[in-house]
Amino acid sequence: MTATMPTRALGETPSRDTITSGHSKSRTPLIAAVVALAALAIVGFTLGHTAPTWLDAHVRPWFDSVYKWSQLNNGTNWAFRFVFHPIADAITWSNDKVLALLRALRWPGMLALTGVIGLRTGGRRAAITAVLALAGCGVLGFWDDTLITVALMLVAVGISLLVGIPLGIWAGLSLRADRVMRTILDTAQVMPAFCYLLPLVVAFGIGIPPAVMATVIYAIPPAVRLTSLGIRGVAVTSTEVGTSFGCTGPQLLTKVRLPLARRAILLGINQVIMMAFGVVVISALVGTGGLGQDVSDGLAKVNVGLAFAPGLAIVFAAVAIDRITTGERPSRRKNAIANQAIRAVLDNPRYVGAAAMTAIVGIAAVAKMTGLDDFPQSLRFDVVKPVNSLATWANDHLRNGVPIVGGTGSFSDFFVTHLLTPMRDLFQAAAWWLIIVVFAAIGWVSGGWKLATLCSVCLVGIASLRVWDLAMDTLSQVFVAVLLSVALAIPIGIWSGRSDRLERLLRPLLDAAQVMPAFVYLVPVIFLFNVGRVPGVIASVIYAIPPGIRLTSLGLRQVPYAPREAALSFGATGRQELFKVQLPLALRSIMLALNQTIIMVLSMVVIAALIGGGGLGLETVYGLRKGETGRGMAGGLAIVLLAIVLDRITQAWGKRSSGGLR
Amino acid sequence: MTESAISVHGLWKVFGPKAERIVKSPDADLPRGELEAKTGCVVAMRDINLEVAPGEVFVVMGLSGSGKSTLVRCLTRLIEPTAGSVTISGVDVTGADREQLLQLRRNTVSMVFQHFGLLPHRTLIDNVAFGLEVQKVDKAARRAKAEEILELVGLGGLGQRKPDQLSGGMQQRVGLGRALATDPEILLFDEPFSALDPLIRRDMQDEVIRLRSEVNKTMVFITHDLSEALRLGDRIAIMRDGKFVQVGTPEEVVGSPADDYVRNFVRDVPRSHVIAVGSVMSAPSDGDDAGTVNSTTKVRDVVPLVAHSDLPVRVVNDAGATVGSIDRVAVLSVIAGEDLHPEGSQGR
Repeated sequence: MTATMPTRALGETPSRDTITSGHSKSRTPLIAAVVALAALAIVGFTLGHTAPTWLDAHVRPWFDSVYKWSQLNNGTNWAFRFVFHPIADAITWSNDKVLALLRALRWPGMLALTGVIGLRTGGRRAAITAVLALAGCGVLGFWDDTLITVALMLVAVGISLLVGIPLGIWAGLSLRADRVMRTILDTAQVMPAFCYLLPLVVAFGIGIPPAVMATVIYAIPPAVRLTSLGIRGVAVTSTEVGTSFGCTGPQLLTKVRLPLARRAILLGINQVIMMAFGVVVISALVGTGGLGQDVSDGLAKVNVGLAFAPGLAIVFAAVAIDRITTGERPSRRKNAIANQAIRAVLDNPRYVGAAAMTAIVGIAAVAKMTGLDDFPQSLRFDVVKPVNSLATWANDHLRNGVPIVGGTGSFSDFFVTHLLTPMRDLFQAAAWWLIIVVFAAIGWVSGGWKLATLCSVCLVGIASLRVWDLAMDTLSQVFVAVLLSVALAIPIGIWSGRSDRLERLLRPLLDAAQVMPAFVYLVPVIFLFNVGRVPGVIASVIYAIPPGIRLTSLGLRQVPYAPREAALSFGATGRQELFKVQLPLALRSIMLALNQTIIMVLSMVVIAALIGGGGLGLETVYGLRKGETGRGMAGGLAIVLLAIVLDRITQAWGKRSSGGLR
Repeated sequence: MTESAISVHGLWKVFGPKAERIVKSPDADLPRGELEAKTGCVVAMRDINLEVAPGEVFVVMGLSGSGKSTLVRCLTRLIEPTAGSVTISGVDVTGADREQLLQLRRNTVSMVFQHFGLLPHRTLIDNVAFGLEVQKVDKAARRAKAEEILELVGLGGLGQRKPDQLSGGMQQRVGLGRALATDPEILLFDEPFSALDPLIRRDMQDEVIRLRSEVNKTMVFITHDLSEALRLGDRIAIMRDGKFVQVGTPEEVVGSPADDYVRNFVRDVPRSHVIAVGSVMSAPSDGDDAGTVNSTTKVRDVVPLVAHSDLPVRVVNDAGATVGSIDRVAVLSVIAGEDLHPEGSQGR
């Protein structure tokens, strides 16, 4: 294994170099690369096969001591007393109040509120779907846990909007602010939410505050980005009109820019809510209670039924939230009401709002008086037992001996022995510096010296965290999952981009998939594949495929008709049209799909540590669950570095393909 | 004569880094491409001088990229001029502070935009009332005024519609109404009708002519359409590469183009539609005449008179005194496009 590895890696690098030399029509880069490689090889032999000890940055003991110090000086240090504690207190306080309010509404009031919001934002169908979905959470027996999760989410969304929208306005008005913020947001978004948690635990302690803060960090980017985009998208003519009539700066903002950016901002709010929900569920790992914790407890016990029931409740809650936050308000003109006076009342949002509020409060009051505190027992339906018996049945009948396909167990074994393990062994057996050289070379080919430097620095960073082998394990899983995802998503995406029927068929599935928090994907795979690396990889593939399909199909559909028509008029066949016109023009979008796939796979592979995926994710989980801060931080930082490397390289591909296009 | 409504002196606009150093430097005379390669700057407007009298309609005509839109935006500093001065109704615009500039934009000058620039989230009435809202006029008063204006531009009763429910012509009526609502002294039109169909464009031009006779505002009108310029303008400035190549009455521009560029432009204009009898008449003749016309009558309108008679036509001034005569030969030579009398080229 060790013997074959270097030849493969060395064979790969020059082949990529020849591609560039062909591009630049000069042999200098090739020679330079060979010289650099030779030099590195000599250095490499002196460095040895594994990362040398002098490279150790002592991150683990350092963070351990920081954590210990923070626990000792929690009450005395100014940073805790005047910054972290007040923030934590404010978050806890708001969370308590919101939760108390939700509980005070009782379940009938809560359902009524959902219905009213749904009616207002999406019409009757959305309202009915949302109410039924939310009621589903109660039917499954998770009413109060749902409220806990929703309250956490609402607090996080509130903070995100309060901070994100003003920042977005600023970024929309100032190019420089936009550039700075975009750099920060881009980095924030490639990091799996998992990694924020630990440093936040050090600062805020365990429980609700770090969970909310992690959610806020993850959910702010769409608020900033879409607000900025909306403000920036306001036509110059419109702002010029404002200025020409003598608007002051604030007048221009409130009368012209914000109203015209409204759609984008609303879309931003919707995204903030969905992302917040996804992360709130994951951040339950720090002990917030609620649905996420139920799933993670179920997973920890490897009890499929216990994980499945709250998982299903998460799906229901996600559907309810999505239904009432998307969609334009239905046009009022449809229901023509003859009476002028009634119409005037119905058209005035203030009256309608007041009436709805009164109705909801009334329902809640009646519910309180009649003692409808808990979701009625008679409506509950226990899914744990049937799911568990189904799981046992699946285990008995599907794992082995299924004709032709062989069963999930044999599939799993095959997968491990023929794909995952060889790949991991390959990465782990290669000398650490060789991997860095290969990545630097890929970086150089994709984006020049800057990217090569970034890649090397990040990978050396991983080596200095002393988690090299774990990182290679994670990398091998990412690699396999990305290969599978791309192999499935891009052909399906191309097909769907060319077939309206398939597009129509897939759309509801893709929409639904987009709404689900990453967490939920773990449940069905352990049902079939038990625990280990395979279900993690499969969950990642399932998680990453929808956006891949969507972006590929979108890219193909966005190709303007004119060049396709031109190709057809010259007698191109369907295949020629695809390969000579559509695919080259959609390349940028497809590269974006690849980038998204990699980022999503990485974030899922990390979470998969909860079901035995191992690798860097496990370090973070240990850090969070067992209070081993140093270990968790080292793992988390390594994930972030890995994410940056993979993200920047694939982004560079996207840029290059667009550069070659125009 | 009262002072000018708008007075512009030595106005420059240069886009690019360190734009000031280009003004009046030898570099400014380089061809566009060379200048951009050398300094990274583009001269949009160079050394513009103009005076617009109160109540006058001044048309700036040029092709796209000639700098005409930049010029109209520099008047109220929507685009900051690089050098030169602008005075509007006695206010030094280029030296004005923020407050003065806001007052000027709110009360003195209004603009009508090429693509209407209506705010899609507002009803028509709120669009028309926009200028008043910015001035913090209270809601009832500005609504009342806006209703009145909508009536004036022929959209009475449609106040609750949104802009996207209207045709282009109707949208621009709203744009016009919005500009009128603040009762400004000066109206600026930035190619307001170029996005409209020819027939609707003609309607809108009639609207402007009607408004002009009713409200008597000073107007600066930007267009790339020569016939529009000739129809509306008291005076026309032809703009090319950021410079005025000719400023004059429609008659002067058509009758005696300043250079080949202008000549090319006006080549297809029927000159008899533009040139007045007064500029091609000869000395009064004593004999009988075929009829009497005012000296401002266009040559075209004399045709029926000379067609039915061999006699010349008597030309009188506004007071009714005979100032000259015009015969069939003179009329035909205008229609045929021959050179005019030398003294005719001096205009009024």
